Amino acid sequence: MKLNTILVVDDDENDQFICEYTIRKFDPAIAILKAQDGTEALAILKTETPDAIILDINMPIMNGFEFLEHYASTFAHHAPVVAMLTSSQLGSDRERALRYPFVRSYLEKPLTIEHLRQMQALLEA
Amino acid sequence: MQHDDQQWRLTGLSAGLWCIVVGLGMIVFWLAEPAELAARHPEIFGMKFNAALAFTVLGAAFLLALSGHRALPAIGALAVLGYGVVALAQHVFAVDLGIDQALYRPFTDIGTSLPGRIAPNTALCFILISLAVIRRALRGESDIVQIACSYAAVAIAATALIGYLIDFDAAHDWVAYTRMSVQSATCFLALGVGILFIGARTAGYHRLAIAASLGVATYLILLTLAYLKVSEQAKRLPFAIDRDGISSTAATLLDLILLSGLIYAGLLAYSYWSSRRYRRSATHLSESQGRLAAIINAAVDGILTVDANGTILSANPACERIFGHAPEDVVGKPVRMLLPGPPGDGAEMTGGGHSGAGYVVASGETDARRKDGRIVPVELSVARVELAEGTVHTAIIRDISERKHFERQLLAANAELEEFAYRTSHDLRSPIASSIGLLNISRELLENGDHDALSGTLERMERNFTRLDHLIQNIIVLTRDRLLEEEDRRISPFDVVQSQADTLSTLEEDGRVRIANHIPPQLTISTKPSKFEVIVGNLLSNAIKYHDPGETDPRVDVHIEEHDGRIRLVVEDNGLGVPEEKRPLLFRMFKRLHPSRSFGSGLGLYILKKSAESLGGSVTFEARDKGSRFIVELPNGGEHEAEHHTGGR
Repeated sequence: MKLNTILVVDDDENDQFICEYTIRKFDPAIAILKAQDGTEALAILKTETPDAIILDINMPIMNGFEFLEHYASTFAHHAPVVAMLTSSQLGSDRERALRYPFVRSYLEKPLTIEHLRQMQALLEA
Repeated sequence: MQHDDQQWRLTGLSAGLWCIVVGLGMIVFWLAEPAELAARHPEIFGMKFNAALAFTVLGAAFLLALSGHRALPAIGALAVLGYGVVALAQHVFAVDLGIDQALYRPFTDIGTSLPGRIAPNTALCFILISLAVIRRALRGESDIVQIACSYAAVAIAATALIGYLIDFDAAHDWVAYTRMSVQSATCFLALGVGILFIGARTAGYHRLAIAASLGVATYLILLTLAYLKVSEQAKRLPFAIDRDGISSTAATLLDLILLSGLIYAGLLAYSYWSSRRYRRSATHLSESQGRLAAIINAAVDGILTVDANGTILSANPACERIFGHAPEDVVGKPVRMLLPGPPGDGAEMTGGGHSGAGYVVASGETDARRKDGRIVPVELSVARVELAEGTVHTAIIRDISERKHFERQLLAANAELEEFAYRTSHDLRSPIASSIGLLNISRELLENGDHDALSGTLERMERNFTRLDHLIQNIIVLTRDRLLEEEDRRISPFDVVQSQADTLSTLEEDGRVRIANHIPPQLTISTKPSKFEVIVGNLLSNAIKYHDPGETDPRVDVHIEEHDGRIRLVVEDNGLGVPEEKRPLLFRMFKRLHPSRSFGSGLGLYILKKSAESLGGSVTFEARDKGSRFIVELPNGGEHEAEHHTGGR
């Protein structure tokens, strides 16, 4: 299965830019959906189910963990690959995120081609 | 002890009065010369006229000596002493010095050796007692001479009295036909006892020991006299065989005297020794009880003893500090009144286990109810003590509210520090991670010669670094706020607002936001200048940052109010305001409430709150119809102690 759509949830505009650039470089055919925080992401997910979600943790209004909680409880069908993308690797955060079955990987910023390759591999597995 | 001496003083008074009454009575009898009465009851006239006079004088002298007189009683007693010496000398040297009838010629005679002559034992007693009275009058207190004299006199007089009681003439008739009369014996006894016992304790003599030895001495004198009598009679018997029999009886009597004397002396010594020991151990006991009581009374911790039914038996003074009840008010009350919760309610209590003398029933933290109803946390340890009279629980209570308070403060500070470390690690790393990504992109764009896109990427990197710099600046402000030792100075808040507003207007946006400084320019307050600047700077930059771009006249109004030694700095704006659900998060660190305009570090209001608290003040938020109102309340000048400020949590 090929990566066709990716939802990027991040409040930082630079990080959004880097994600978009890297995804384009990895595969220009991939459709990119953007959300500033958890609430926006949930709104998008009501109509779309992307192949992957790249999720930041520290965001205003609704942070990554709050989003995961909502996503797990209110959605029956989840994106096959949800990858956390965060600026710091804190053990407790990682464990907390990986408790959700749909969270498949925990990445450190900035997003790289290699990260996307891993996500592709997870999707195919 | 005082009461004791009082009683003996009363005894002395009675003794003196008794002598005077008897003496005067006898003088009256002699002067009245009732021949008929003398014929019928010759024993009444056993006390001679001279002796009666001597007793009257001696009794009066004794009373005077007791009430503190010196010369008068001494002179009186000296006269009696002289009389006694002369009277005794007549007996010893078998002469007549004419003292017997010097003042009065007796109208009757009861068959004594010579009319008016007193017995040698009476004379001796006069000598002894008058000596003692003289010494007492001169010294004002008891001494060994007085005790010895009166001791001997009492023994002689008691022997005579007992002689009358048991019809044993030798006891009062030392020389044939001269006897110590009953009246004289009682007078000597009374005076002797008075002198012996008044002031004996202060002089270091034990009354009981004196009394007991007196009993023994009297008993031995009586036995000796009896022995002398028997052996004298034995000599006078005409028949040798009978004489031997009587002699052996006398020898047996002597043995008995010696034996009983030994036994008595032994018993006396033993009782004296055991009373000494008893007194010593009683002193030890009362000393150790006193020490224990002092320890318990001075203890910092509250100490309660409780019986098996949970009734308080005792409470030390520290309990009053902890519970607010005076110790005497809680004795007899149920212990639940003070310690309502089951021990260890919500705290770790270890039950059971032997520990030294007591059995530890429970120990741990629990709540105590004070008299004013307040609940304070205490550390409690209860031990069970099995005593002869039943089971008693001792509870040691320590007020730990201060410790708990600091514990909570420490936990809060720790949690805050942890959150700070977590957030800074993220927020510091975030622009760097982003810049690394942007740097990689820039390199590719450079290689591809896409200079337009490269320029945009570099701008992004610049923004990242500006953000990072801003965050680091804020962290520096926070750290400086925490560490900076600053003295209070008088400053003009008007000037501070003005200069901060000027600085901000050059840095922020297009200067569209109008800052109205309503503070009276002449007003000065006493505070720490740089912290106050941080407060004003944050309030203003916050108001500018979150102004409403759609507002035609975005403005910030700064007021100051002063009352009760506190100042209220009020900053109002007509900006975006704070959504109601976000208000509880307002002063938390790293909370950006307007994500669409999230160019701050998220530390601004947190720094504001910390700065206000370190000045001993507080900061509150009020929503306006349009915009926000921040109120910073600060003490005006030195009465606050920033380090100890605990408010706000």
